[in-house]
Amino acid sequence: MTTFGRRRFFGLSGAALAGALGVAGCTRTSQQEAATAAGGGVIRWWDHFQPLKPLNERIFAEYGKANPGVRVEHEVYNPNEMGQALQLAFKSNQIADVHSIAGLGSSEASLVVGGWFSPLAGQDAIRAKLPADSLLEGLHVFDGKLYSFPIFSARQYTTLNWFNRELVEKAGGDPDNGPATWDEFRSLAARITKDGGGRAYGWIQGLQFHERLQSHVIELATSAGAPLAMAQGDNTMGLVDPRTGEYAYAGEPFVQALEFLLSLVRDKVVFPASTSLDARTARARWATGVAGMFFDGSWSIGVVNGQFKQFIDKVGVGPIPSPDGKPVLYGAPASGQLFVSSQSKHVETASDLLARFTGPEFSKGLATFMDQVPLDLEAVAMAEVHPSYKRAAELFGQTVRLAPSPIARNPAVAQVMSEMKAPRPTLGEITQGILSGELTDIRKALREYNGKLTAERERATRVVSGKGVKVSLDDWKFPNWQPGKDYTAEMYQ
Amino acid sequence: MSAAANRRRLGIWAQVVLLAVISLVWIYPLLWIVSASLKDSLDVFSGGLGLIPESWRFENYVRAWQDAEFGLYTVNSVVVTLGTVALVVLRCALAGYVIARRNFIGKRAVVVVLVATLFAPGGLTIIPVVELSDLMGLLNSRTGIILALAGSGHVAAVLLYAGYFSRIPRELEEAAIMDGAGFLRTFFRVMLPLAGPVTATVGVMTFLAAWNNFFLPLVFTFSRPDLRTLSVGMLAFRGTNSTDWSGLAAAGTISLIPLLLVFLALQRHFVEGVAGAVKS
Amino acid sequence: MSSVTRKGSGRGVASRIWSERWAYLFLLPTLLLFGAYTVWPIISSLYYSMLDWNGLGSERQFIGLANYREAFGDPLFWKSLGITLTIIGVTVPLRVGLSLLVALVLNNPRLPLAKLFRTALFVPAVTTTAIIGIVMGFIFDPSGGPVNQVLLDLGIVDQPIDFLGDPGTSLWTVMGVHMWKWFGITLVYWLAALQTIPTTVYEAARTDGAGSWAALRHVTVPMLKPFLIIIVLLTAIETMQIFDLVLTMTNGGPFFSTLATEVYIYQQAFANSTPRLGYGAALGVLFGLVTLVFAAIQAIGIRYANRARSSS
Repeated sequence: MTTFGRRRFFGLSGAALAGALGVAGCTRTSQQEAATAAGGGVIRWWDHFQPLKPLNERIFAEYGKANPGVRVEHEVYNPNEMGQALQLAFKSNQIADVHSIAGLGSSEASLVVGGWFSPLAGQDAIRAKLPADSLLEGLHVFDGKLYSFPIFSARQYTTLNWFNRELVEKAGGDPDNGPATWDEFRSLAARITKDGGGRAYGWIQGLQFHERLQSHVIELATSAGAPLAMAQGDNTMGLVDPRTGEYAYAGEPFVQALEFLLSLVRDKVVFPASTSLDARTARARWATGVAGMFFDGSWSIGVVNGQFKQFIDKVGVGPIPSPDGKPVLYGAPASGQLFVSSQSKHVETASDLLARFTGPEFSKGLATFMDQVPLDLEAVAMAEVHPSYKRAAELFGQTVRLAPSPIARNPAVAQVMSEMKAPRPTLGEITQGILSGELTDIRKALREYNGKLTAERERATRVVSGKGVKVSLDDWKFPNWQPGKDYTAEMYQ
Repeated sequence: MSAAANRRRLGIWAQVVLLAVISLVWIYPLLWIVSASLKDSLDVFSGGLGLIPESWRFENYVRAWQDAEFGLYTVNSVVVTLGTVALVVLRCALAGYVIARRNFIGKRAVVVVLVATLFAPGGLTIIPVVELSDLMGLLNSRTGIILALAGSGHVAAVLLYAGYFSRIPRELEEAAIMDGAGFLRTFFRVMLPLAGPVTATVGVMTFLAAWNNFFLPLVFTFSRPDLRTLSVGMLAFRGTNSTDWSGLAAAGTISLIPLLLVFLALQRHFVEGVAGAVKS
Repeated sequence: MSSVTRKGSGRGVASRIWSERWAYLFLLPTLLLFGAYTVWPIISSLYYSMLDWNGLGSERQFIGLANYREAFGDPLFWKSLGITLTIIGVTVPLRVGLSLLVALVLNNPRLPLAKLFRTALFVPAVTTTAIIGIVMGFIFDPSGGPVNQVLLDLGIVDQPIDFLGDPGTSLWTVMGVHMWKWFGITLVYWLAALQTIPTTVYEAARTDGAGSWAALRHVTVPMLKPFLIIIVLLTAIETMQIFDLVLTMTNGGPFFSTLATEVYIYQQAFANSTPRLGYGAALGVLFGLVTLVFAAIQAIGIRYANRARSSS
């Protein structure tokens, strides 16, 4: 069916329906919308940063004071629903002037190609306020034009070991740092469980939420020595060994990471309800003192501070446990969070407003909310925050190195990745299967997964390069990468 | 004789006790929600299964009602739900009536299409519905939500009406026509009132579905948060990394109350309605 | 749905249509609304199912039946169909049967508090699914949840059962919660059916010297038979709504053990890291065909029941 035919059909049936039901008019909602929006100084702003809502609204209010007549309509979405909201809103021309891209599952590059965004106005002023190596072509800059910029640091991970100091101390652990190695973690978890006598367990995790579980497995494997180059997102498709450009899921570090988690299940030190908890409920249960340790990102303390204040004095944090106690992790270059829509009628104002989300003052303000760590990690030390948050930022600075990103090397890799179909079961689902005993052969499951990903990437690369796009498997190789070292912006040349 | 009567009475009381136990177990999860709505966040998770909060937090309701604008959402929910119910009752009664009573060209085709879509899975239809509504200028309006909710499905309602009308004796209609009533008048003055039981059933079933529907009002109110319904408004309590459980429970309790009132008020009609409806 | 057939003998089609103009006018709202919001989306889905399309952006490629070919070789799709059929095969008969038992008890006019019980059993049906998901996490909690507590205290088990987290029990738990939520509706259907039996019938049976058990067997049950089909039908339609309950309770997990077909379709079409609306649409069409077969069997059943009733 041609577009024309469909449109015509829509028009006719629409007119008939509207007429029959006495609905006045038959203009596109989006056209009416655009007409009204152009008149006033209203900036519509959608993001998914619930904990940062007060910060954002403070900035909006300040901006409104400095620019009378400008008002921001702010809407916070749950990232799970946000992807669909954005898709449908974009399709029907009613997307917000400024929005984040959570849940879309598409790379910045393909969204730019798809015509979603408008380049920022007043680019040079914004660039001046950002560290030069934080902006990369293919992530924030396209054809030399700035579209977005990072507000959170690349140096962070989600498998910090948060623990209940009281329980750890009682079980003979170090209440300041927690366990360093996998063996220490395992034995401490066993002692907490034993001391708990059924009322407290060693480890709690939201095992139902397999996407997050997958991140923990990847990070544990990295701490066991898996070298990783990564494209942005919680996605296994973009993670390869930078030396070879190959997927590394079948390697020993992943097997060991899964065996480590499985050993916790076998030892019966896992809070029993973990299998039916997601990250939020697991954190809430942890805060009630039923378990000693809990893997989580830096925002853990922010949530405790906001919702479970009674628990905050018992919170301690330590590094991700690793086989030898000396973990090195890698962070993908931090991506841009907020974009100005191509449908916006207020690109200038929106960019001007966005510029307020840069600089040390902003980073310091951001730190006080104890969510994801700000772009400027140093700002955390200066902010008035819980000691565990400062410690988390310190740990990130010490252990996380910048990983090379295939997308920053060649933005067309993003097209390959969006052409790829994620194999099921995913790594997170495999982990769930292994921990629940449905899958018994870890090596076989990982090998199959690795094989499926490799085949799928080859197919997708063929399809995309068949369209005349310059992309190859070599784009995933970084011969000048050195383990344990930052991969800086100039190394892409 | 009196021994038998005693035994029967004993049997009845045994049944009452058993049913009381079952009923309590049945509504326990709901009592838990109400109790969670009065606790603070940590208490929700640490209080175990006890229903009495450690400290009474009525501010959860204040938060739900004021900060999360549940007052506004309640109004929207009521408007959308009542509009949907009215439209569904009207269109399904009209269609059911002619399907039951008239023999027109194309009737068989209509019935076949209706029955064929009885089980059609609903989730995927959202994208074409949004495209269509956008073209008609109906996105971001309560009218659009009502039309979409009333338009999709409800085949069972049409069939219930058709079944019921086909059982009403023809003499009633003929008498009305003899009295000079036209087609319209016959339907609205004679037939529709007779179908009261079915209307009650369809009304309650549609009410439940419309009140609880989440996805459709969500996508129809992207640019107009002030048009959101209660079920969509609950989203406000769930953030990226945390959920305001006690606020959510308070919101859930608020949205439960109108439904309970409707059921209690219409309970008798509902049961009789289904009776009348299923009889056919 | 019977109607007297009056063949328009000798009259032209146009005049027949004209003479039934009111009928068409009455049908118009349904034709328009149903056409726009039910039939048109289904037709669109058929078209989408032949696209390689993620649902956003203009990049859609027509790929013919490739999605269908992939679906036939997709083990998760077949697994999900099996799960959906299990859910329907187990919960529909159980719900219809158990609610009949309760309805028979509640229908006794001498039973005190019947109205209260009826309401209590119905309330879960009106409760928001999102919250039920959270509450049930507590009810079935393996560390201190009431269900496990009771089972342990009674000595039925000596290890708590991980109802929602163990792939061996999660589907049963979800089915149980689904039955709990919608039990009240089926109960009301049966109560309604029981009301259609005039009390005089019982009195007649009693004067014939029949005891209450005999009355039940020889009077009530035969008179309820015709209702069975329609109640099963309505219950089956409701069971299709298990979608959002599964989504909030287990999201199809652990390890696919509760992956009902609609959940899988939803995941593929919207929630995957790479959403595939085209493939989701193809799965939806296949699933629709399966349910259509199911509906056809039902329809034949209804016709059969009607015939049986009219001949008795």
